[in-house]
Order: sequence, then structure tokens, then C-alpha cells
Amino acid sequence: MNARAKAIVPYAAMLAIAAFLYGRTASFAALGRPGQLGPDFWPKAVLVLLMVTCAIEILRVALAPPAKPSALANAKQGHGEGDDHAPRYPVLLLSGIVLTILYVPGMQVLGFFLATAIYLAAFMVVGRYRRYGVVAVTSIVGSLAFVFVFMKIVYVSLPIGVGPFQSVSTALMALLGIH
Amino acid sequence: MQDVLNQLALGFVHLGTGANLAALAVGLVVGMLVAVLPGLTLVMGVVLALPFTYGMSVTPSIVLLTAMYLSGTYGGAFTSVLFRIPGEPLDVPLLWDGYTMARKGEPAKALGWVLLAALAGGLITAFSAVALAVPFAKFALRFDSPEYFAIVLFGLSGVVALAGDSMAKGVVSLCIGLMLATVGVDETYGADRFTFGVPILKDGIEYLVVMVGAYGLGEVLARMEQGFVTPPLDSGRKVETRFPRWSEIRQLRGTALRSSIVGVLCGIVPGAGATVGSFVAYGVEAGYGKNRLKLGTGIPEGIVAPQLASTATVGGHMVPLLALGIPGSGATAVILGAFLLHGVQPGPQIFQTSGDMVYTIFASMFAAVIGMCLLGYFAIKPLIWVLRLPEAVTSAFVALFCFVGAYSERNSVTDLWMIVVFGVVGYLFERFRFPIAPMVLGCILGPVAENSFMTSMLSYQNDWTIFFRRPISGTVMILVVVALAWPLVRLLRGAIRARRVGPEVAALERELKP
Repeated sequence: MNARAKAIVPYAAMLAIAAFLYGRTASFAALGRPGQLGPDFWPKAVLVLLMVTCAIEILRVALAPPAKPSALANAKQGHGEGDDHAPRYPVLLLSGIVLTILYVPGMQVLGFFLATAIYLAAFMVVGRYRRYGVVAVTSIVGSLAFVFVFMKIVYVSLPIGVGPFQSVSTALMALLGIH
Repeated sequence: MQDVLNQLALGFVHLGTGANLAALAVGLVVGMLVAVLPGLTLVMGVVLALPFTYGMSVTPSIVLLTAMYLSGTYGGAFTSVLFRIPGEPLDVPLLWDGYTMARKGEPAKALGWVLLAALAGGLITAFSAVALAVPFAKFALRFDSPEYFAIVLFGLSGVVALAGDSMAKGVVSLCIGLMLATVGVDETYGADRFTFGVPILKDGIEYLVVMVGAYGLGEVLARMEQGFVTPPLDSGRKVETRFPRWSEIRQLRGTALRSSIVGVLCGIVPGAGATVGSFVAYGVEAGYGKNRLKLGTGIPEGIVAPQLASTATVGGHMVPLLALGIPGSGATAVILGAFLLHGVQPGPQIFQTSGDMVYTIFASMFAAVIGMCLLGYFAIKPLIWVLRLPEAVTSAFVALFCFVGAYSERNSVTDLWMIVVFGVVGYLFERFRFPIAPMVLGCILGPVAENSFMTSMLSYQNDWTIFFRRPISGTVMILVVVALAWPLVRLLRGAIRARRVGPEVAALERELKP
């Protein structure tokens, strides 16, 4: 994807979403009273502003002459400043997102302690930290600390899981003096 | 004046209670730690501390967050000066003279200048908050809905105008925030808006999850994509602070005065936070300082100006927050969130209804300034130890804090899913260089803006000129127009200049400007 298309994509996406949401305002516009601004007025105003901004930006990028990098930009890149050209690891990012998504249902099934210990360990390993002893100790001690602080001190009711995992959480809570 | 001083004295007495002192001490240490770690921004740190305040009463909560905010403007200076690692964006100007002075063999003296600047900026900011907040609040008692709408609009337009290199990105970010605020049941008509049949969306989207997700998880994902490349610190560099001589300090009176004014003003103007203050103060010094031609060679002016201004912005930010209930930055938005979570609505009435609390917060600012300087002088060495932790480990815990923070407020699993969604949104913002602050402020101030606008329209028979006809709202609306027109004027001037000198030279000139 060239630079121009890359610059247009976010605005085009926002324009499409805004247009869709504008269409949805019709469902609550009918609830307004005659002679008064209805519940659709404010969101419509915001959406119009959003669509106009996106349209202008798309036109500006599309019609602008191709930009040549300035001498300073070249010099900065030469010295490694700015991270536009820094190496990126999309697989790492994707793994992080998947791991984070799995953590949410994992917490409900396994309970906070087990899910968190696994999440922390997996996150560190995926993040290319390879001292496995440190990973194991940090994730278990860290999870225990979170359980203690949030359940015992801040009184947050963290998920305890289902089935056998619930028994693990309950035993752990009894061990930490959490009732 | 006498009354203010009496109240402040009482504030110091209230600050002496165990809970408040403990909150102050913890806030100072954690703020310093957050600022030292390059992966954690100051706002992110304040956001992550928010869930710990749920079980506390309101005063220690605000004392904790304000202390974090203040010490966070100082902590990052150590790593900038000693290791060329800016802990915060606001510490970047310190690389130019602070790190250079350290490289020239005077790291202790550079840290001495940083400490003095933080102390001066902190005291100035605390005094200015005390002096300005009450007049601000008294003035605000005259406000009706058109004035509130105009003020909120001014706040939002300031955030957009200062959004960075692209105003369009700022507007898009703001509109997304304003739209998120409309989700749920509308207050005037009771209509469901953008709920898509999902019951939990009827309660609206909590701005806390937007903040925590976008600032916290979004940043973690962005750093993960870069492979967690920041190496852990492995340096035996000596960390000590040496104060400059009195005669040297006296020579910097002009710098101190200019930077103080810049700092306090940048604090009061919504959107212009510590980072803008730091860069502007350095720029002012480069334009008007006695030693402007030597800037960048490791002179004290280049250290004092950005550090003093960035610390001085904190009190400026607290003035509109307390007197009007309008946050001007990400950190003050979180502090507003803490107020609201405890059922306290900041605004002109707060000085009557919760005077004790307000003056305890002011007193805590004075104490925090002294505390952070003592901490910086005596305890920075163990604090810098956190830099030895690998980025993958700290990031894993930051992500965990995000989840627990969001879950703690309502004990709702839906909020966990929201965190994931806004984490990805935050990452995309980071990736495409859209500013997050306008979205967060739009999300928080959106309901205030909509309610004051709708009330004005109902009260004045849909006459929109009312915003321009009333003296206070009219003046503020003119400021809104100026704030929005200024970037356009700059753009136009740039285009004219480009036509005269050629696009490449004009682009180079733009990039060279501080």
C-alpha cells in the first residue's frame, strides 16, 4: 500500500462508519417534540462534523502533490530518530491481541488467579522474555499479590471460576485469609 | 485573602491525618516510578492508580492522584539527564541541555538544576492554584447554560487546536469521543441511542474503560508490535545531586520568570499540558533568553526552563478542574473521574460545599512539592532500579492493571471486553498517529456539552445566537473561533511561505521550529 492510500484509509473508514451511524439516528429522531431539537440533533451534528473533516482530509491527501522527504527528515532517519521505519512485528502484536482476548473468557472459567498467572507468563514469553524461572515466579507471585490486594484490601469481587477451578480459587482465598 | 490563608492552614491540619499523609507518600513514590519507566506515561500511571482509590474516601484519593501528577513531572528528568531516556514526552527538552551537561562531566550539577527548577515550579504552581481558584469559582457563579456550553466548547477546541501536527486528526479523535458519550439512554427524552439492542449499552460507555483501554492497553500493544526493544538498564552510573551556587541561581531570574508564566498559562489553557509547557518554555528561552545562542550546549537555562514550566502547569490545570469542573488534560480528566466516582461534582459551588477538601488538596500540593524534592534528592537511586526490569515484564503487569482497574468499578465482564476493544482502538490511534486526549476529553465533556447546549436551546427558543449575545459566553465563543482559526492561519501562512521560498525549504523551516 503506498503512502497516499495508507493516509486515506483511516479517514475513509471513519467516513463509512459515520455515514452508517447517521442512518441509525433516524430511529430515535421520531421521539423529538415538535418545535424542539430532538435526541438526534447532537449526534447528527457531531457526525456531520466528523464526515466533513474526513471528506476534506481525503480530498486534501488525494489532490496533494507527491511529498518529497525534506533534508531534515532524511537526516533524522539516518540517525534513527522517529519510529516510522523502526522494525515492526505484526505476529507479536496479533499474538498479544489474541492472548488478551482469551484472557477475558479465561478469567470467567479458570478464575482470576489461574487465568492471570497463565496470562502473565504467556505475555512475557510472547514478548520474547526467555528467563523461564523468572517468568514462572513473577507470574505466580504477581497474581497472588493482585488477589490479595484487590480482594482483601480493596474489596473487589474478582471472578473465582467454575467447577474444579472454583475450588482452587476458594482454597487460595482461604489460605490468604479472604472471606 | 485572610480567609483563604485560614482555610489553607486548616487544609494543612487535615492533611496531617494518617490516610492523607499515606496517600501523599504513596502518590509521590508511585508518580516518580511511573515517570522513570519509559513504557509508562504519567497519564497512564494516574489511570492505573484510579481503582485503588475506590475503597478510599474522596480527599486521600485526590491527594494520591495529585501527588502522582506532580512528582511525575519531575521523575522522568533523572533518566533523561543520566541515561538519555526521556521517561515522559515532557522530558525530551531535557535531553538537549541536561544530558549534554551530564556528558560534560557534571551530572550531579545537572540534577541539582533539575531539582531547583522542580521545586520552584512546584511552589509557583501551588501558589497560583490557591490564588486563582477562588476568583475563578466566584466568576463562574454567574454562569448559565450558554456560558457552560461556551466554556466546554473552548476546552474542546483548545484540545483540538493543540492536537499536534494535524488538526484533522484532533477533530476526528474528538468526534469519536463525543459519539461514545452519546451511547445509551438520552437524558432529555429517554431515547435509546446507538445501543443496537445490547442491554449493557443502555447504561452508556464508561469513560474509564475508554481511558484505561486507549491509554494503557493501547500503548502496551503498540510497544509489543515494536518487539519491546527498550533494553533494561545496566549502568553503574553514579546518581547524586549537587546544588548550584547562589550566584549562579540569581543569574537565572529571567528564565525562571518567563518559564513560570508559560507553565501556569499552559496549565490554565485546556489541552496545553506539561509537554506543551516544557517545549514552549524551551522555545521562549531560545527566542528571548540571555544565553539563547548557547542553548543545546549544556547550559542551566536549557534545564531550568522546561522543568520549571512543566511542573508549573499542574496547578494551572487544577484551577479550571476545581472551579469549573472542566479538565484540561488527560491526568486532570482522571482526577475529575475520581471526584465523580466519589459523588463529588467539581464546579463553582465546591468551595462552599467541600471547602475543607479543596484546601486539603491545595495543602497537599505544597507538601507534595517538598516531598518530591526530598525523594529526588535522597531516594532516587533505588527508584531508578525499576529500569532494570525487562519491558515485557512491566508491560504484562500494565496490561493486568488495565483489566483489574476496569473490572473493579462495576464488577462487570462487559467492561473487560470494552477494555480489549478500546485497547485495540488505542493501538490504532497510536499506529496512525491520532491523538488520544481529544477522544478521552470528548467522552468526558460530551454529556456536559450536550446538556448545556440542549438546555440553552430549550430556554432560549432554539436561538443559537444566544451564545454570542451574552457577554461572557460571547467572549468565550470568540476565543473558540480564534483557537480554531489559529491553526488554519498557520497553515495559510505556511502555504504562502512555501510559494515564496519553495516547498522543501518551507518544510525544513517548519521542522526546525521548536
